[in-house]
Amino acid sequence: MLLEIKNLKKKFVNNTVLKGIDLSINAGEVVVIIGPSGSGKTTLLRNINFLEQADSGKMTFKNKRLNLANLSNEEILWVRRHTAMVFQNYNLFKNKTAIENISEGLIFGQNKSKKVALQLAKKSLDSVGLLDKQDFYPAQLSGGQQQRIGIVRATVLNPDIVLFDEPTSALDPELVGTVLYDMKHLADQGQTMIVVTHQMSFARNVASRVVFFADGEIIETGTPSEVFDHPKNKRTKQFLSAIAEDY
Amino acid sequence: MFDSNFAIQSFPKILAVAPMTIYLSIIAAIIGLVLAILIAVIRERKVFVLSPIVGIIVSFIRGTPIIVQMYVVYYGLPQLLIALQRWGINTDSSGISAIIVAITAYSLNAAANISESIRSAYHSVDYKQYEAAISVGMTPLRAMIRIIVPQLIANLIPNFSNIFIDLIKDTALVYNIGIVEIMAKANIISSVGFKYIETYLDALIIYIIICWIFAKLFQISEVIIRQRVFATQRIN
Repeated sequence: MLLEIKNLKKKFVNNTVLKGIDLSINAGEVVVIIGPSGSGKTTLLRNINFLEQADSGKMTFKNKRLNLANLSNEEILWVRRHTAMVFQNYNLFKNKTAIENISEGLIFGQNKSKKVALQLAKKSLDSVGLLDKQDFYPAQLSGGQQQRIGIVRATVLNPDIVLFDEPTSALDPELVGTVLYDMKHLADQGQTMIVVTHQMSFARNVASRVVFFADGEIIETGTPSEVFDHPKNKRTKQFLSAIAEDY
Repeated sequence: MFDSNFAIQSFPKILAVAPMTIYLSIIAAIIGLVLAILIAVIRERKVFVLSPIVGIIVSFIRGTPIIVQMYVVYYGLPQLLIALQRWGINTDSSGISAIIVAITAYSLNAAANISESIRSAYHSVDYKQYEAAISVGMTPLRAMIRIIVPQLIANLIPNFSNIFIDLIKDTALVYNIGIVEIMAKANIISSVGFKYIETYLDALIIYIIICWIFAKLFQISEVIIRQRVFATQRIN
């Protein structure tokens, strides 16, 4: 088991967003979380790398046990240095070029030399066919290019898990395909991923496990075929029937 | 009748004290900037007790005329030093020059205004970049220095330029406490020759030239910094 979360709870003022989540992930698994907007999917991801801090719960990551309500700065940094996140709005550093966006984490998160970091960044940019954009700033790139660089920025760190927070939601429809292609390529290479998405076809084709999430709870979990073709829970059925997309 | 000869003769005499105006403005801006950074950090980090106190002081300074603040420092600073002496702290209240008073008052005024500009420049940087920076393993301090601060500086320059130009213009009031700068010199020459419009026009021209030069310098530095930070002169 790579990551195990037990009874994770999170409240914003009086609004309980996560009502005791249990989730475990094996190395190499692609877990896709689906569910209605506002159900707490993103909050769950943000709690895994501590962009939000949970009110209570336990987490075991790489055999290290963590008390989510009481974490030291060292523990937070350790988890962040072994996970990586891809954001809905890319969140590239606007004051850095494409290649610098990728090398910053290597240099300042993983203490690699600038030379090694730039070599790795170059190699990874080349692998997604964006080497010619290495000196471009985010403002000079399309949304699709920015998100693909966002993915490279995360994966170049060689993280144990990559967390994807609706990576295609902010993209124009014609750009979604290239980003999903890169993600599928990663999954094929055995990268452990947790993906929050509304792209049901991606969930069906790439996920090793689909988790249906609603009102801060995991309602149903199973293989894509179990969840999409034979959903057991009424709410899962309602959600799937409400989606117009052909998945 | 407008005496153009008098105006021409007075011009170099008034121009000769322009360095005092510039000196006061630059020193006040530098000290003000250092204090403003401190104030902005205290307020943004919501430092216990200090933050609300600093907030009240800032709104006091921003809400009152600088001439009143200058008089408060002018009459208040010596008394404060005397009081400190009574408490056993060795201070010399007799040695306070008008320049020190002016620098104190203008620095505090600049600090209040610049601190608010720093805060608005900080909030105009997309905070999600900070989250991205810590998510790739940077420490919070490193994320601030590498990602947020450079963008903050680029956003700060236009407002900082305005505050600095205001400082130059506001120093025209320091003649009230006996410092001879552009306005004081114009007053002195006017009262000697009983010719007013000539010298005040001279002062006007000198102020315009100084302000224009500094505005231009800030404009150029903004272009250069934006180019370096974002590779574009204007973002969004």
